[in-house]
Amino acid sequence: MSLDRRRINGPDESFPPVFALDGLQGTLASPRKDRSPTDIRPIFLQPGLISQANGSAYIETAKTKIACAVYGPRQSRNAAYSETGRLNVEVKFTPFSCARRRAPMRDAEDRSIAVAIHQALVSSVRLDLLPKSTIDIFITIIESDGLDGCVASGSVAASAALADAGIELLGLVTSCAAAIVGRDIWLDPTEGEARFSNGTLVLACMPALKKITSVWQTGEMQVTEALGCMDACQEKCTEIHSVVAQALLESPSLK
Amino acid sequence: MTDSALKASIFQRLHPRAYLERFVAEDIRPDGRPFDAWRDVSVNVGSISTADGSALVRLGETTIVCGVKAEIAEPELDKPDEGFLVPNIDLPALCSPKFKPGPPSDEAQVLSDRLNEVLSQIVPLKSLVIHPSKAVWVLYIDATCINYDGNVFDAALIAMVAALRNTVLPKATYNVETGLTICSRAAATPLQILKAPICMSFGVFDAILLADPTAFEEPLLSTTISVVVDENSELVSVVQLGPGVDLDGEDVLSTCISAAKSRRVVLKGQIP
Repeated sequence: MSLDRRRINGPDESFPPVFALDGLQGTLASPRKDRSPTDIRPIFLQPGLISQANGSAYIETAKTKIACAVYGPRQSRNAAYSETGRLNVEVKFTPFSCARRRAPMRDAEDRSIAVAIHQALVSSVRLDLLPKSTIDIFITIIESDGLDGCVASGSVAASAALADAGIELLGLVTSCAAAIVGRDIWLDPTEGEARFSNGTLVLACMPALKKITSVWQTGEMQVTEALGCMDACQEKCTEIHSVVAQALLESPSLK
Repeated sequence: MTDSALKASIFQRLHPRAYLERFVAEDIRPDGRPFDAWRDVSVNVGSISTADGSALVRLGETTIVCGVKAEIAEPELDKPDEGFLVPNIDLPALCSPKFKPGPPSDEAQVLSDRLNEVLSQIVPLKSLVIHPSKAVWVLYIDATCINYDGNVFDAALIAMVAALRNTVLPKATYNVETGLTICSRAAATPLQILKAPICMSFGVFDAILLADPTAFEEPLLSTTISVVVDENSELVSVVQLGPGVDLDGEDVLSTCISAAKSRRVVLKGQIP
């Protein structure tokens, strides 16, 4: 392992503590205990928390905590002329955001989440109005409770931040995740639930236009199950849409 | 935005120095504070469940989240009875337009180093030993800036100290025969912390001392002074960057030290 001189370094190798009697692994309460399969965790959304950014939003859904800032539209750094604007999404996990410490180096997971969020948002932004410009969306995951939840909440926060920045959008993007556990559809799975599911699906859409912007499915699923997940997610997205719209209306930066 | 507010914000962007001078001439700062006033501090601990200890600190608009992760490692050969303390601060592109994505900026490296200097005085490394020369605790103290509105060092130090005070370590036992360390959730102990240092930073602008500078004021300052004081008003660390100035016949550094000591008393009840 190469030493990174730009950071304070610890020992070459260290391991998370091993606990005696870790009997919690390998079980999942079925049916769901704390909420019904079609319930999502409560969403707390606050636009405009980051004063230095053009637009920002903070989202909290139970354990998942994500901060998002939008800078731009600003001049593209590379000189090549482009007729439409660019949307740039960067995702960063804080080292303490997961059960195991994430060493502060780029791994593939941030990238795949960034691509998924980019895909969810890109068709909602009027990039055709912004030649030669870049919109930078920076997302910091403060605490994560499953990748699917991070993609869904990250997309919602990013869309709210874009609206907070006053960037022209075709519609707000909302997103919801679903998992197939046994034969049931469980919406908004936690990390543990997603791990024990057969497959997961994250759907992003613009409820105001009744259009889907992205579907991201992983794992094993029958076609009917996938369609069922998409229907259930889309229904929830409409509910999330009103939560986001209300949060934006109440935000002090728009008053 | 009204027309005059827009004109003012353009003036602020184009002529920051003249903008601040006009305020200073009226004995006030752009955010409405008197020269020697501090922004409000709020500390929220233990809200991150994936960390062994955590804190969220807001100093005015500046926001820092800090999380402590405890791991186990073999000690260094020449220091068999000392654990590790690894503090790092991250200033991501998220927190301010002046940072770009990528490896830590110069500013972040300097801040991490200064934080390391202060924190190494407050946690005794010998208290992190599980079994001499076999297993010790490594405390990764990672702070992330969410909103950069000046005086990040003060906020980061409050966050790191609060997160360390919030940290509980599980009881760890090293088995000599198997060479494994097994922990138990049942018996957890808080960290041993020797001091409660708080940093107070000042800036000098045109022979005027500004307490707790904002991100707008910081680049205009000729001198910045940071004074770290513990709970008994004893100095832990003093840093002055830039030339010393005489204020009312007294050197600026001694003015800052006495101001920091009186501020430390005020903060006693507010910061854990």
